Amino acid sequence: MRKTIALLLAGGVGSRLNVLAQVRAKPAVTFGGNYRIIDFTLSNIANSGIENVGILTQYKPYSLMKHIGTGAAWDFIGRSRRAKILPPKTGLKDNDWYRGTADAVAQNFDFINRFKCERVLILSGDHIYYMNYLDLVDFHKAHKTQLTIATRVVSPEMAPEFGIAQVDENYKIIHWEEKPRVPRSNLASMGIYLFNTDFLRECLQQAEGHDFGKNVIPWVLEQREAYAFPFDAYWQDVGTIKAYWDANMDLINPNSGLNLEHWKIRTNPIEEEMKRDRIPTYLASRARVSNSIISQDCQIFGEVVNSIISPGVIISEGARVIDSVVMHDTFIGENTTLRKTIVDKNSYIGDNCFIGYGNASTPNKRYPKHINSGITVIGKAARIKPNIKISRNCLVFYGVDFKCFQQHEYEAGSTIYSETAEIPF
Amino acid sequence: MKKIVAMILAGGRVNELGVLTLYRPKSAVPFGGIYRVIDFPLSNLMHSGISKIGILSQYRSTSLINHIGVGEAWDFVGRNRGASILPPFKGEMDADWYLGTADAVYQNLNFIYDHNPDLVLILSGDHIYKMDYQPLIKYHLDQQADLTAVFKRVPAGEASRFGLARFAEENDFGGPLKAYDEKPAKVTSQWASLTIYLFNTRVLIEVLKENHEHAQSFHIGKDIIPAMINRYRVFGYKFYGYWGYTQTIDEYYQTNMDILDKPSEFPLRNWEVRTNLCHRDIRDRMPAKITPTAKVTHSLIYNGCTIAGEVHHSLLFPGVKVEPGAVIRDSIVMFDTVIQKGARVSQGIIGSDVLIREQVTIGDDSSEPYETSDLISSNSGISVVGERTQLPPSLSIGKSCTIYPFLTENRFSNSHIRSGMIIQ
Repeated sequence: MRKTIALLLAGGVGSRLNVLAQVRAKPAVTFGGNYRIIDFTLSNIANSGIENVGILTQYKPYSLMKHIGTGAAWDFIGRSRRAKILPPKTGLKDNDWYRGTADAVAQNFDFINRFKCERVLILSGDHIYYMNYLDLVDFHKAHKTQLTIATRVVSPEMAPEFGIAQVDENYKIIHWEEKPRVPRSNLASMGIYLFNTDFLRECLQQAEGHDFGKNVIPWVLEQREAYAFPFDAYWQDVGTIKAYWDANMDLINPNSGLNLEHWKIRTNPIEEEMKRDRIPTYLASRARVSNSIISQDCQIFGEVVNSIISPGVIISEGARVIDSVVMHDTFIGENTTLRKTIVDKNSYIGDNCFIGYGNASTPNKRYPKHINSGITVIGKAARIKPNIKISRNCLVFYGVDFKCFQQHEYEAGSTIYSETAEIPF
Repeated sequence: MKKIVAMILAGGRVNELGVLTLYRPKSAVPFGGIYRVIDFPLSNLMHSGISKIGILSQYRSTSLINHIGVGEAWDFVGRNRGASILPPFKGEMDADWYLGTADAVYQNLNFIYDHNPDLVLILSGDHIYKMDYQPLIKYHLDQQADLTAVFKRVPAGEASRFGLARFAEENDFGGPLKAYDEKPAKVTSQWASLTIYLFNTRVLIEVLKENHEHAQSFHIGKDIIPAMINRYRVFGYKFYGYWGYTQTIDEYYQTNMDILDKPSEFPLRNWEVRTNLCHRDIRDRMPAKITPTAKVTHSLIYNGCTIAGEVHHSLLFPGVKVEPGAVIRDSIVMFDTVIQKGARVSQGIIGSDVLIREQVTIGDDSSEPYETSDLISSNSGISVVGERTQLPPSLSIGKSCTIYPFLTENRFSNSHIRSGMIIQ
């Protein structure tokens, strides 16, 4: 697969993931215990035998760069195998930040030129799926096309979120619309584009605008043709709090089609700043764990049901964690209950708290579009005082401290905010 | 700052560990859920700032070589750092295998010449402990010692298994030795050698050469130290921390279980142990999956485990699968072993990649009498199953049995293996 190189657009801001993506780029958000979202795309690239990948970063790249390291975790190491981080750079003008996906690729065309490759596979780092990109390349070659877009059937209500294609019987795209208000089909673009290199160069030089979905693809369909590769296995865009939680829960649903073991998804679990390696997880004599994913280095004294637990989490005696996602090194105090809650890394939840109580469906008052499905979200390194009750659709900002809690009880839709909190690392 | 290199004697096989060491040296035996025994001295060296290390291996060293790799896991990579495996080589005489610990170091004197250190720290690769070697080095320099060996107080009843120190005078830190008795029939002291030796390089070379030229026996404990007393400045340094042995099956089992049962004496979490997470792909395992039918208590588990049955007071290494209805109690189960439906394992040490078919029982509490003897691997009822062996459905295995590695299902003609039996 030397003839194809991959470019991974990992600059995504991911604003709908709210606090989870305010401290890191969206592809670096933790998923499934000890993975990050980008691991799926990186593992797909490696498992497809593609040996060179450029990773375009822009927004808060620190976590991401640290995570990718040398690329050795995905075997991108050797004289002709590499994962290169491509940071943004200033062009002739002073302020040449990427103006869109196509612009990001155009600004890094020198990386592509270096490989004399026949094809460029353009990917985004924010989906949970397994795909052998060789199937896509075979399809591309069989149709003798210059551009193939991977597509998947989505539910009609989701369709307005995507680029939507209409195809003929040979999967040739006959109509395309980016995020249509009234979609003509339910065949959605997965944001995966396979271009012949020369054609990609021509498109980027000639098409107006800076975005593949909005500008480049419509231009291609006017001038030439493009094909839609049909994909029908598990695929989840984890761009919203609800979708993120759903995809995590799919890990413990045997019928979901999401199976990390079969997919050989790899991650880089080595945390440079740790002097020790994370140790095995201890389940105490009174621990009760059921239908859950438990990572290494946890200490579980309480109860865990239908939950996804990242490394280093401590769940104290009498604590109950239900339908929740708890990230690295978070502490959950004695007799505290968590229900349908996402807790980011390094948080501290004191004794006798109840997070996610009640049945009220009031959306979050501050971010009604982000937090509205009953899930409460606790940001990175938040410290929740003992004896606090927080209901559903609530948001606790990263870095919130004990002194931010003026009440004992927060009704559904509340936000607990800190004016002074800095983004924690 | 004195220049120091460490040499780890990691080659030994040690018969007492039986089937666990048929295909690997003792230092590479899996321990504590993800580690190998040698991770403990290697991590100690790393945290003590000693980063020039020679690892002497002799017996079936593939597993050890894989594990050490380039030493990156312990940060031993760089222009002035390194962990070198020093394999035995053929000398001028054809059969120059190591004849003892002193001979092993003697045959690798080139390693010492190459680095030209002031001090040489000699360790063995098969003990479980946490120690900062810097205070030992400081003590050695303060006393202007030629050799400082480390000792720990043990119960008198156990002392005769060890090299014992008699101090000429002593305080809390240690003192000069007036005698050293290697495994004496009659206990002469309760200060047992931990086989940690810090030598001045010049003296080490001197005594090794002398030993090589004149002696019939070539061990540091038995031969070198007794011969040095009164001629050199030989000191004992006292160690007070947890010390875990892995010499026999029973000790190996107990030291593992101490992680669960004695967390204050053996706080693994605080020990800052590193291992090679690339070995056996530990790093690529997905987090443990625990199904609704599972019950797991007072146990250590790791990524890659899938647990649908019961696990109590046990250590499961990465990749162990426990099917519904299977019950694991008081056991150590190594990498990627599968325990099928309805199987019951009590007091077992089960090697890697073993297949335990449905309804197999190991160590079941039958009142069947059996005699303890030197032949059996464990005097406390522990049965051991070697790596990659496959146990056929409904086989019952008693206590203190030894089942060799690489056996296939048709090797087992009887449905019951009596306590104390060895199957090979």
